[in-house]
Amino acid sequence: MNEQFRVAQKLGLMFRPETPLPEDIKSWAISQLNAKSPALGIKSFKSMNSDIKEWPRELQPNLKKRAEMWTVYRANRKKEREKIDGQETEAAKRANEHKNLMGQKDSLKFSHRNVYGQDQLKIRFMSFWANHFTTGNIHDNQNVIGHLIDEAILANLNSSFSEMLYKATSHPSMLIYLDNIWSSGEDSVETREQRRNGRQAGLNDNLGRELLELHSVSPSAKYTETDIRNAANVLAGWGTDLERPLNEMREVANTTDHWDLYKRTWAQPGVKRVMGKTINQGKGGLRELTDFLAMHEHTISYLSSKLAQHFVSDNPSQSDISYIKNAWKKGSGNLDQIHTAVIERAILSKEPKFQWPMTWLFQTIRLSNATFFMGWDEVFDYDDNLMNHRQTYEELGQSFWHPRQPDGYSSDKNEWLSGEMFERRIRFADAIYRAGNPQFSSSEIMDRIGANGATRDLVKRAGQYENEKFIALMCSPELMGLENA
Amino acid sequence: MPNLTRREFLKASGASLFLAGLPMPGYTKDKPPGTISVIVLEGGMDGLTAVPPFGDPNLLKMRKNLVSENYLKLNSFFGLHPSFKYFAGLMAKNNAAVIHATNFPYTLRSHFEGQNLMQGAGLAPFSEKTGWLGRALDLAKTPGRAMSLDMPLILRGSNENDNFYPASILKSGDLITNLIQNISMTHEGDGAENFKKVQQKSTQSNVIVPRDPASLARYAGKVMSQEGGPLASVIKVDQFDTHANQGAEENGQHGTQLAIIDDIIAGYKDGLGDAWDQSIILTLTEFGRTVSENGTRGSDHGYGSAGLLAGGAITKSNIISQWPGLSKSEQFEQRDLMSTIDYRSVCAACIEKSLGLDHDLIAEKVFFTPKLPRLYDYIFS
Repeated sequence: MNEQFRVAQKLGLMFRPETPLPEDIKSWAISQLNAKSPALGIKSFKSMNSDIKEWPRELQPNLKKRAEMWTVYRANRKKEREKIDGQETEAAKRANEHKNLMGQKDSLKFSHRNVYGQDQLKIRFMSFWANHFTTGNIHDNQNVIGHLIDEAILANLNSSFSEMLYKATSHPSMLIYLDNIWSSGEDSVETREQRRNGRQAGLNDNLGRELLELHSVSPSAKYTETDIRNAANVLAGWGTDLERPLNEMREVANTTDHWDLYKRTWAQPGVKRVMGKTINQGKGGLRELTDFLAMHEHTISYLSSKLAQHFVSDNPSQSDISYIKNAWKKGSGNLDQIHTAVIERAILSKEPKFQWPMTWLFQTIRLSNATFFMGWDEVFDYDDNLMNHRQTYEELGQSFWHPRQPDGYSSDKNEWLSGEMFERRIRFADAIYRAGNPQFSSSEIMDRIGANGATRDLVKRAGQYENEKFIALMCSPELMGLENA
Repeated sequence: MPNLTRREFLKASGASLFLAGLPMPGYTKDKPPGTISVIVLEGGMDGLTAVPPFGDPNLLKMRKNLVSENYLKLNSFFGLHPSFKYFAGLMAKNNAAVIHATNFPYTLRSHFEGQNLMQGAGLAPFSEKTGWLGRALDLAKTPGRAMSLDMPLILRGSNENDNFYPASILKSGDLITNLIQNISMTHEGDGAENFKKVQQKSTQSNVIVPRDPASLARYAGKVMSQEGGPLASVIKVDQFDTHANQGAEENGQHGTQLAIIDDIIAGYKDGLGDAWDQSIILTLTEFGRTVSENGTRGSDHGYGSAGLLAGGAITKSNIISQWPGLSKSEQFEQRDLMSTIDYRSVCAACIEKSLGLDHDLIAEKVFFTPKLPRLYDYIFS
């Protein structure tokens, strides 16, 4: 494979046919970090001639609008149960879901970004961090997962890890997913009042624990249960209630911003100590904590290693990891500098990197210029030719909009090796060929990427039918990022 | 040109099924005496909710919103959550057992370290690349087949192990043997190995299995009961991590998950038919939950939990426990149910019973702990 595509495979999503190949791949890759990131997509699959355009604004609502939609959705569900206003009819139920739920729309937008985006490296880094800050679709979370990915992750790719950690931790999607919305400090006004009235109230340590274990220092830092509890105490008071009227929000937290909701009466009074660091009481405590964790030695080691395993190679060397660590320290957690170091090591390393199923799928679609996702006008349409995108992700075993555990998807190759996983590759390559109307033949793709001799031999042996050649190409070691590429 | 068979299969919602231990073609001699099935409960099952020790005076003081008022009485001290109606019937028929105040020896309360240990059974988190059931199947010389999209760690342990989880992908046609052979030949190492497995699957016949966990278990039991069928299976169920609004009764969050376990056990029994008599099913979870209720009507990560065992291989129902007590001073680190029984011993006894391996061999080669206590007689005699 030529150098441009080798780098695009490891770090990006492959060059679309309309994109000229850059001469200087390293400069191009680094410049991608500052690429513009409009959500590109297509209006319609069925018309087959849809131009690539930016997603309509009305399908990308802000947080306030998402909260309103959720409130209406829940009110309609209540009417449905009580059989009021005809809300119990199938048509009304469907209309309620289509109009007021965001999970399917956001998931399709994510798919389009990956297939049509001109910011391929940025999208890969977005997916890496979206997976790191997993918020699965449990606890009524579906209207805000996509907002976290767009606004806490993508919008912060050019800032610092500290900023991203703070914005992701305080995002409604994270506070809902890891139960912080109900947590109140043991000595808070709220807890005391509730207990006085005989009701249960107090701390929930779920987000505090995962903030340390998964999002920052990792268990290698050997923090204690007291550290976890104190981190949870710093977080007590941070919450959101998508259905709460704005005037009530103003009353309890002096804000109408769902992403900045800190209820002082729920907070644990006093300073806290987490892993030896003193954290002041009040709203600013969370920022102090995330700033401290973001530059902690164990966070830097853990995340440098995770980045290297995701982008550089399946078995990154200590020098790969050290290089990223040094960039982290030198730039004080500046993400552009960290990502630049990742790019440099990924280009330098000639070791292969086996790609996630979803990354391979996007790369296959882009290389062949196929159309494998519905248009934004068709989010809820059934088509007997093209799978619904939700089903596609279910079959791949990977989706950011499914219920899932907070540790996210592994970058360890071994987690993705099985006969069934490999059968999916064959079947999806076949489905993309049959349903996606690829604009390029296997030989055109091989010429463009500079396929190696083994791949060309395989495609030649695959027989006379173009669909079989297409499957062979996409399932070759070279296109899968396997050892003998 | 011969085509591989196109299979129909619906993915489980909220549960995944894995089958393993399929004897090699022609494998007849020294057939292991039974089958083993593991229900992996991710998130940390609350042993005190599942099997409430209502005889302990501290139970209701510490978790009044988490204990069912309608528990099923097992003896003068322990009860069963009302979601376990089927399991209670098996207890009454001497085909089930409960191990209480038990866990793998892991006390740091991380889901992901705990899940790695309960499947890998290494001496430290992430130290093993294979799983305890995979290693046991390898020792029993029964290279086999798992049923799943991925290959779960618990079953890894032999390159001969395979998996089976047919796809449902619109517009993908029949798989073409020659093509897959060609692809496989071009690959090396992991690639070649796994594409060869795709080839091997070409002999599978059409299978339609509904999505619910009970149907998956019924299917697993059925194929395990067949001559030459798999000897082991794993079903994974998640969502036990109930930090908030855990509930006490059947319709609560935890109660709903416990009912899934009950349905799975019922499904297995139905599917196994006569093979039930040689079967053992056990639950496995990464840790129990805190003794005291937390501030949000839930429970946080803990240590000791309970294990449920069912199957015809059990002929006398027992509750096996060295009860540690629930008072603050009796809790582990003044918050969790203490674990007084190493659950690896329970797993070892189930391997010994189903695969016919010697305890000392299991202790050394499967759990890397030569002095692992033998619990076989408590469970199976």
